Amino acid sequence: MRSVPLPTLAQQGSNALSLQTPNNKAEYVLSTLDKITNWARQGSMWPMTFGLACCAVEMMHMAAARYDQDRLGVVFRASPRQSDIMIVAGTLTNKMAPALRKVYDQMPEPRWVISMGSCANGGGYYHYSYSVVRGCDRIVPVDIYVPGCPPTAEALLYGMLQLQRKMRRYRNTVLWYRK
Amino acid sequence: MVSLLRTLRSIRRVGLKEWYRQMWYIGDAKSGRLVGTDSFGNRYYENLNAEEEVPGRHRWVDLAQHDYNATQVPPEWHSWLHNIRLLAPPEDPKMLEARPKWIGTHIENLTGTRGAYRPYNTAAPKMWAWEPKVAPRQSSSQTQ
Repeated sequence: MRSVPLPTLAQQGSNALSLQTPNNKAEYVLSTLDKITNWARQGSMWPMTFGLACCAVEMMHMAAARYDQDRLGVVFRASPRQSDIMIVAGTLTNKMAPALRKVYDQMPEPRWVISMGSCANGGGYYHYSYSVVRGCDRIVPVDIYVPGCPPTAEALLYGMLQLQRKMRRYRNTVLWYRK
Repeated sequence: MVSLLRTLRSIRRVGLKEWYRQMWYIGDAKSGRLVGTDSFGNRYYENLNAEEEVPGRHRWVDLAQHDYNATQVPPEWHSWLHNIRLLAPPEDPKMLEARPKWIGTHIENLTGTRGAYRPYNTAAPKMWAWEPKVAPRQSSSQTQ
């Protein structure tokens, strides 16, 4: 039986671990505040649906009864001004790219982007097409890439959980204090 | 089925401390047969009594790590947990004899840590980004 978990082993001596370890009392208080913020953020992730192709059907499956995103506090919002996350589900064409960027710019900070499926990750099947953006990370910064063609609803939900894990690592006020 | 009677029965069986842990990590008071423990310390349970556990929730895992994750379950236990195989790895003779020695230890998803998977490519790139080059302007003395 391994005594030290593998993620702990992999994080030894990293900047991320140093950020998560408070050095003094002020940092201890601030990191606790950060943890409360992270808890609040990860408990109500509201994605903006950017369903572009067949991946959107799997995204609907995640919202439906079997995988039930509501139990994680994930609720689809139709307006970008009320959402935290954008799920880019499907092929991003050149024609759609300005609209994607506009929607991303309308979202309030903090915002995250999940790139869903191989088309959004890197063009996928349509990589050599004349009318397709080769990966939505050419238009917006992406946090989580979900592989698959299309990814299962399970995979997308796992991606959401990974995004929660990413949110838990945030230490904004500690970062501000150390500067 | 979730009921007060079932909860109380489970608490009586597993004890208050274990019930407290279950409410933190599983979110339900469950009790059943401890089928086995894997090399990472994850514990696997089964309860086939349909009146105590709804069929579909009859096999479950109590993950050892605080920051738990579905990829912490090794593949042989995954197949049992998802009802792909009937018998658990320590009880399954096929599983015991079939595991070759060259299979390494299971590694969980290390995304976000230094151990994260980074793909690389050994083939020469076929495409390049556009690098605009400005041609030097011709001197005005030549044109005049």
